[in-house]
Amino acid sequence: MSSISVEHIVKSYGDIVAVDDVSFSNESGKILALVGPDGAGKTSLLRLMCGLLDFERGEVSFGSINLRYDFEEIKKLLGYMPQNFSLYPDLTVEENLKFYAGLFEISKKEFSRKKEFLYEFSNLGPFRKRRASNLSGGMKQKLALSCALIHDPKILILDEPTTGVDPLSRRQFWDILKKLRDEGASILVSTPYMDEVVMSDRAVFIHHGKKLTEGTPEELTAMYSGFVYTLQVKPTVDTMEALNSIEGIVARRFGASIHIYSDNLSKTEDISETLADRNIEFSSLAQIEPELEDVFIQMMGN
Amino acid sequence: MRIILALIKKEFYQVFRDRNMLRLIFLLPMIQLIVLGYAINVDVKNIHTAVYDFDNSTLSREYVKSLSAGDYFDIEYSEIPLLDINSGFKSGQYDAALIIPSGFSSDITLRKPITAGFVVDAANANSAAIAMAYAGQITAQFNNRQTKAGVPIELRQKRLYNPEAESVYFMVPGIVAVLVTMITVMLTSMAIVRERETGTLEQLMVTPIKTPAFIFGKTIPFAILGYVEMSMALAFGILWFNIPFAGSWVLLYGLAFVFLFTTLGVGMFISTITATQQQAMFFAWFFSVFAIMTSGFFTPISNMPDFVQYITYLNPLRYFMAIVRGIMMKGAGVAELYREIFAMITFSAIIFTLSWMRFSKRIE
Repeated sequence: MSSISVEHIVKSYGDIVAVDDVSFSNESGKILALVGPDGAGKTSLLRLMCGLLDFERGEVSFGSINLRYDFEEIKKLLGYMPQNFSLYPDLTVEENLKFYAGLFEISKKEFSRKKEFLYEFSNLGPFRKRRASNLSGGMKQKLALSCALIHDPKILILDEPTTGVDPLSRRQFWDILKKLRDEGASILVSTPYMDEVVMSDRAVFIHHGKKLTEGTPEELTAMYSGFVYTLQVKPTVDTMEALNSIEGIVARRFGASIHIYSDNLSKTEDISETLADRNIEFSSLAQIEPELEDVFIQMMGN
Repeated sequence: MRIILALIKKEFYQVFRDRNMLRLIFLLPMIQLIVLGYAINVDVKNIHTAVYDFDNSTLSREYVKSLSAGDYFDIEYSEIPLLDINSGFKSGQYDAALIIPSGFSSDITLRKPITAGFVVDAANANSAAIAMAYAGQITAQFNNRQTKAGVPIELRQKRLYNPEAESVYFMVPGIVAVLVTMITVMLTSMAIVRERETGTLEQLMVTPIKTPAFIFGKTIPFAILGYVEMSMALAFGILWFNIPFAGSWVLLYGLAFVFLFTTLGVGMFISTITATQQQAMFFAWFFSVFAIMTSGFFTPISNMPDFVQYITYLNPLRYFMAIVRGIMMKGAGVAELYREIFAMITFSAIIFTLSWMRFSKRIE
């Protein structure tokens, strides 16, 4: 039995369909990543799963409990971390924790045990007297996670928890998530970062409110058909236009370089000849193994 | 219960962390009390009066003296010629002029009707009327003394409840009511909207907190602050302005509790129609000003045009204002105030229920 189950969810805002017939599930002790660009419908999906948004069709259930019928029971199982930092900036780290402990009616004794445990894995202990507003981005997210964990939820729903957080803090944050997973939590996390998808057990790609595909990172990477090249060139608008006007190839900016996708040009020479024909100058060109992001870009293109 | 306590505690932490909020709650009311207590002075005293005594007799001097006896009139034998008295009024040197014609004393002893002139600068109609009333009263007393048997009617006026006609005795209870209104409406609406603005409301909605617990957790702290505010204002009024407190403390605090349902309800309602603290503050301010204006705080309701008077019946502050003043100044009890009490309970119940319903709907 899966601990998170979403079936055929439809959610629209007026004429705009934000979530269009999306289904997925996640088991206990697994991390499921929800991947998609901004505006893909990730936040709507997560919020409606937490009972914060109405939706027209579909079912959300956690274990055997259906969201529509027993939301109150679900609240006890669920830890939710919204996209924006939403704790009390004028309260200290410990006061924030204490407040959430109060909301979940956790006894004083239980709280003092719990809080030391949370301080230990979040490394927030030394900052317990500091106001939340004076924490760094990464520490804020750890505090928000700690608050979401105060009642030992079996299910965690995290909306882009590491967006805008420095790489080191992101890694630490994911170490915490993995620990929680190993203790048996079922974690659903949305993210725009492909390197985080690699750390998850499974991933669901969504785009324009629709599910493109899902699978383990390995399965997803294997889904790529065709060839990928990395090209070092000045990515001006003209170059991009020239590249994309070539029959049979698609070019996308990829960090500082450009990735070229092709279904049939299987050799580097094929590409370099085509580029030479068009008088496009470049400093280097090489074929590479497709990454998750390449898979995603190809799927979005179709 | 633990959930409500957690909310209340948190709310107090937040209030006491916020310097601006603290100023708003504790300093502003004191300043308001001092300034309003002194500034809104509708007493008329020291009316600068120019005297033209053309009779210049013992009797006329006695009459002038009787006018200057209290501290109402500031009598001065004028150096400005009578024909130029306008310039004295225009420059503000004089507020009034008393003209005693020659033959004043002889006529009075002959029991012939006599006239003396009293001219008042009525630019401020209110104080002019009061000055004329004073003058009339003093003249009547003087008349009576002089003519004894001749004039049987003795005009005896007495001021009840506020013998010295100190407007501060009247204003401070009013300010108490105003402060309770402003502070509770503003703080409640802002505190709820802040939760929405910072996104903490969303976080709260996924905790097992129920709507009633949330509402109580968000209103009880401000009810407590409302009481603190009221007690501070009362203590200040009694200790600083020496205002008497004639009635029952228990009744006042009990009825304040009823009134708080109105202001907390309005605060809640405002939070459902605004998205930012700034908007909430604006609406709270608008409501407060409107409520104060139609409460009889400054202008007696009986002086308002009819249609405005009907509007005031819808204003819960009107009843609370009457209750606070009645209890403090007149020692009024339930027997005298039952109409106001009944109206206030009705309004509070309606407002709080409607706000509760709207709020619950908005939040789910």
